[in-house]
Amino acid sequence: MSINLNYNYSFPLSDFKSNLVGNASPRGFTGNILYHANPILSIGLGFGYQDYFQKYPRQVYNYGQSQQISAVLSNSVQTIPVMARVEFSPFLKTLTSVRPYVSAAAGANFISNTQYLGEFSNPSNSTGFIAQGGFGIKIPFMKFNNWGADIGGTYNYAPYKKFGYKNLDNVNVHAGIYFNLSE
Amino acid sequence: MEIMKTFYSMVILSSLALLAMGCQKDPLKNMTDDESRIYITDHDSTARFSDFHTFCVSDSAALIVNGQSKMQFTAADAAYIQAVKDQMQARGYVLVSKNDNPDLGLTVNRIISTTTGVISYGSYWDYYDTYWDPYYWGYPGYGYYLPYSYAVYQVSEGAVSIDMVDLKDANKNQKLDVIWTGLIRGSGIYNDSVAPVTVKALFDQSPYLQTN
Repeated sequence: MSINLNYNYSFPLSDFKSNLVGNASPRGFTGNILYHANPILSIGLGFGYQDYFQKYPRQVYNYGQSQQISAVLSNSVQTIPVMARVEFSPFLKTLTSVRPYVSAAAGANFISNTQYLGEFSNPSNSTGFIAQGGFGIKIPFMKFNNWGADIGGTYNYAPYKKFGYKNLDNVNVHAGIYFNLSE
Repeated sequence: MEIMKTFYSMVILSSLALLAMGCQKDPLKNMTDDESRIYITDHDSTARFSDFHTFCVSDSAALIVNGQSKMQFTAADAAYIQAVKDQMQARGYVLVSKNDNPDLGLTVNRIISTTTGVISYGSYWDYYDTYWDPYYWGYPGYGYYLPYSYAVYQVSEGAVSIDMVDLKDANKNQKLDVIWTGLIRGSGIYNDSVAPVTVKALFDQSPYLQTN
């Protein structure tokens, strides 16, 4: 059994980037609780949190045939993925100091999307599907093999079919620590 | 030494993760009063605004608090009334007195809700003839008519509303058509210094308001 906790930096992609939030987010973390099914395969739970925000300059928006609204528009999106996770470390038996791994995960994405026109908010909460692929390396701290650093990246496929949006896809880099509770 | 490195790494990375969790960007923080404001305009798309030439503006503003109204004339009201006059004249309309049969009548309204609920803009229109008796424009017995829906937003705290009434066709239509509305919401709007800027914003996003 092992746990890890990472600082996460996220970059929105595709429709998320072009229509909702284009700014990268430095406000996030990820975590995993994994059971070592065998020396190279671990399964468990992955979770996280990320806050995305972008403010757009004042602009006039048309509503219907005759209405115009001028506002500074801000989009604030928070995601909390909770996923089943599989981690595969194929070189565990040949490498001792650095342990590369690939990972896959899928589950629920709890989404809070609040759009502000000026100071007036329009919040919306929803739950969507999320699938994740990733890779990374685990570097044990010398003399303390149960502890180590975890550095890697992930790609999140996250459909989001509301208000005309298509997805909240993103790519991430993370750095953190892991701790093996038992071998 | 290694123990200390491990310990410090744990503390730093755990702190970063917890900090990230608590650091949701607050959109309202660092938002200026100007950024907080929204300007909403709507109009009768069948109206030909170039067919109107003269206008007058109410000599006071209606203060509407929780649906109850009274007339008032504060420095802010005076500034809003003057700003409306300036913007209309800048677009070619001629200011006349109410007794000179103006083509258009404009009102300035301050809408305030102190209750926990919200005032829908629909109910604002339902009671419009209690704020501005059609007699004020010289057309007693006529009713106001808003030919378009204005239901997207609700007035939950406060707003300044400017409404334009078609007086030229009142007798022909047997009613007072409201053909343009402007709504200002946000921080610091009940202030004479911001009236010119906010009213100009309403007119700037309504380029069809021209005499030619």
